[in-house]
Amino acid sequence: MSTQPHSEEEQGRRNSSPANQATSLLVADCGAVFTKVSLFGLVEGQYRLMARGEAPTTTTPPHEDITVGIIQAINVIEFITGRHFVEDKRIISPEQSTGDGVDVFIATISAGGPLQLAVMGSVSPALENLASQSISGLYAQAQTVPSPTFVAAITPAAVPVGAGPTGAGVAWTPERIALEWERQSGRIRELHPHAALIVGMADAPAGPTPLQEACQLLINAARERNEQRNGSSQDSAAQCSVIYAGAPQYVEAVRRMLNGVADVTRVDPLISQAQLGPISMAVGALYERNVIQHIPGYERLHSWSGSAPVATATSLSSLVRFLAQHYAMNVTAVDIGGATTTVMLAGEQGEFIPMVNTEVGVASNVGPVLQKVGWRRIARWLPFDTSEEEIRQFVLNRIRHPHALPTSPRELQISHAFAREAIALTLEEAKKNSMDWPDSDLILATGGILAHAPKYGQVAMTLLDALQPRGVTSMVLDKTMLVSQLGAVATVAPITAVQVNENDAVTHRLGTCVVPFGNVEPGQLAVRVGVEYSNGRQLTVDVMGGTIEVIPLRLNEQALLTLFPAPTVDVGLGPGERARAAEEIDGGLVGLIIDARGRPLVLPSDETERQARLLQWSQALGI
Amino acid sequence: MTYPLGWSVITQTVVRRERWPGGQRVKAIPLVQPGQEVLPDQPVLRFARELQQEALQSAARLSLPSAGTGTNVKEMPSGASNAAETIPAGLHGQVVSITPRGGVVIESRAAVVQGTLGAGNQVAGILTIWPGPGRMQHPIPAAAILVVPGPLNFTLLRQAASSGVAGIVASSISLRDLEGFLRTDLIQLIDTENAEQAQMRLPPFTLLLTEGLGGAAMPARILNLLSQYQGAIVLLSGATSTRQRIFPELIISLPINETQDWHPLQADPSPTLGALVRVCSGEQEGTTGTIDYLFAYEQTFKSGIRARAVRLRLEDNSLLVVPLTLIERIG
Repeated sequence: MSTQPHSEEEQGRRNSSPANQATSLLVADCGAVFTKVSLFGLVEGQYRLMARGEAPTTTTPPHEDITVGIIQAINVIEFITGRHFVEDKRIISPEQSTGDGVDVFIATISAGGPLQLAVMGSVSPALENLASQSISGLYAQAQTVPSPTFVAAITPAAVPVGAGPTGAGVAWTPERIALEWERQSGRIRELHPHAALIVGMADAPAGPTPLQEACQLLINAARERNEQRNGSSQDSAAQCSVIYAGAPQYVEAVRRMLNGVADVTRVDPLISQAQLGPISMAVGALYERNVIQHIPGYERLHSWSGSAPVATATSLSSLVRFLAQHYAMNVTAVDIGGATTTVMLAGEQGEFIPMVNTEVGVASNVGPVLQKVGWRRIARWLPFDTSEEEIRQFVLNRIRHPHALPTSPRELQISHAFAREAIALTLEEAKKNSMDWPDSDLILATGGILAHAPKYGQVAMTLLDALQPRGVTSMVLDKTMLVSQLGAVATVAPITAVQVNENDAVTHRLGTCVVPFGNVEPGQLAVRVGVEYSNGRQLTVDVMGGTIEVIPLRLNEQALLTLFPAPTVDVGLGPGERARAAEEIDGGLVGLIIDARGRPLVLPSDETERQARLLQWSQALGI
Repeated sequence: MTYPLGWSVITQTVVRRERWPGGQRVKAIPLVQPGQEVLPDQPVLRFARELQQEALQSAARLSLPSAGTGTNVKEMPSGASNAAETIPAGLHGQVVSITPRGGVVIESRAAVVQGTLGAGNQVAGILTIWPGPGRMQHPIPAAAILVVPGPLNFTLLRQAASSGVAGIVASSISLRDLEGFLRTDLIQLIDTENAEQAQMRLPPFTLLLTEGLGGAAMPARILNLLSQYQGAIVLLSGATSTRQRIFPELIISLPINETQDWHPLQADPSPTLGALVRVCSGEQEGTTGTIDYLFAYEQTFKSGIRARAVRLRLEDNSLLVVPLTLIERIG
């Protein structure tokens, strides 16, 4: 388990006073594909969502200004409310007596792409893993560039390293080390990182030399860049950012070496999970400085707000942890966007496992999903015949037109198939960082593809297929796409965040879901479900293995639930153990879902049978 | 938004483009200086001799046969001794700078056609309309940029490439034929972080598709524009990278008589009433029409998705309702 920083909270403290008295707030969430803007205001003493607008994000030509998309989304709100919020490309603030303007403007951002981070020095597999964990909650991608002497020290001379230039399988002669230098220099050139993280202690296999070599690689790269840019090696305008988490006794030497080449931020040496927080904060700060602040239109955006824009993932993580502690439960949040997919688990004991997967999404980053899983894993979720060409055409269209919405049922189903795989890939990554992934009490889903799904059953099915939860869990859809903004709102207006969250963000409860696991035999009784409704009506349903059943339990209805699993089947208390809920469970927009398809979920290999099953399951969920 | 300049066709604009034939490992020697006026057939670059061979292998057929001012480029033999050494401007305009690698940046008053998909390095050539099989009255000039009004296929592409054509501007092609010709995975090609490097692995041929994948014909307004400039030396780039926001384009420097009393067009991409738009995705992809009505409230589509929408009046006067995010303005 790792603990991520609350960097935005510090910002919030700096800007906390006036916002607490705010009667109206505009909150913009600028995603890679769409920008969503929400208007919060006071209604009968409670902060509520009053209107929201959406427009394509405009960071690329022809607009090349992030504020254009925000203003377009605000224009939708202006149309709905009849109020004016923008004048001469500025937010009218504070709120006027006419109702125009707002008191506070806040922005969260996931547009702009991830921070590219080179992990350098004595990068052992353990340190590589720690570095990866430290950035798992951020929009950042780490690539390892170990120092040549470190590679030589940990690679036995007689064993080939690979097919590359170093893979000669000979002794580490000076020539071979020189080749390794060339290879690592090429990696730096190719990656063109925004920043570097230097790690390694003096007692590492090659001693402190790898630290010096990491600096030298950065110096060489800076020299090359400057020569290319200006034809002069004297120019030092393009400075790199370095986080030094290596042996503390060499920090000054590193600073001296990188003087004029990189600005060096020192953090505690990375040796265990205890240092993940500070490194995460340092990388988060670099993301704001090297990515967010370079987004076209940033200056104007910042001028609209009293506080700096916050990374959307950071905002979401704040809210998820708040919910876990407030409701004393394990909360899994899923945010699926065009370029990024996020899965976060926050536990009631303070555990937090974030995974921001900046490589996969359902629009501009749908290509890597196909590349990682192959077309058959996409096609397996489709209840109709398809072909590799159709799936690839879909991907080509999406990456060229990330704003496109699926207008036909077929396109929608392909989109949801990609969403399943993007979530599953991200969950796999998250589980690599945690040996123990607790079962979730609540699954909170957000992101355009889920929020815009025409039927709630489609969302429920996507989550069940992708996350494959076990035991008893509840599913909530953030249809208003507010949750990823509320963490940022909470830093400047905590009361607003709490009230909007309860009044508007988590109101689309899909239902409670029971997922028996263990040895679930298809066609055999998996679990007998006893339901005692609040009005006294009782119902018993036998659910067979390989099926999904939905028991009517509407929104605002409650019932007591008793589960009688088959002897080899577990509902959370052990095989065959009966479970009776101490409290009434809540209904939802879908109902009480019993997913007895088994875990892990295995789809029939026969095409006809697979399609038939998918249709049966869809019908059960009302799709 | 597919079109970085706003619309798919802009008949009057000012562009600045680095004349660089592709490849990264070569160093070129500029033959012109900033401030100098250049003509489309004027050589502006020469490859350093020791690297010349490598450059030309990676970017074959990237230049017109070398020609002096006033020379009819069509008459120059393609194998002339200095044919491969120099790169013509492809644009009429003023040199504004020289890049560190030796590329020449030229500012030109031009008409620009932006494609939705393409492949291949920047090439200059003579714009030549292909009338159809067996209808060509004159031989296709060497290093021509051939305009194929209808959809392409694999065979046609192979024939064009082997006949010495430098590039093709066509409406569309099937995914299978395009990947077969390029011998590459198109998703990886256009999803690349480094478009210039990606082009080096392709056959030495440049392609721009106005409509993209499928079988759509070239819109009349594009074909009319291209016909108007038949015989002109133009600059074509096929490189497409959705990550780098690079899209294929054909740049036609405007003749001097067309640049007098001239104002660049400002392409407004916003979807306003009466705007000419193209449906960029879905079952109606490629359909063009004018915006007839902007719905105030979200509309429901066949998939069940609700979205802000517009109603289009198509060329046959029929009406089509599409999500706002599925249209891109083209005029």
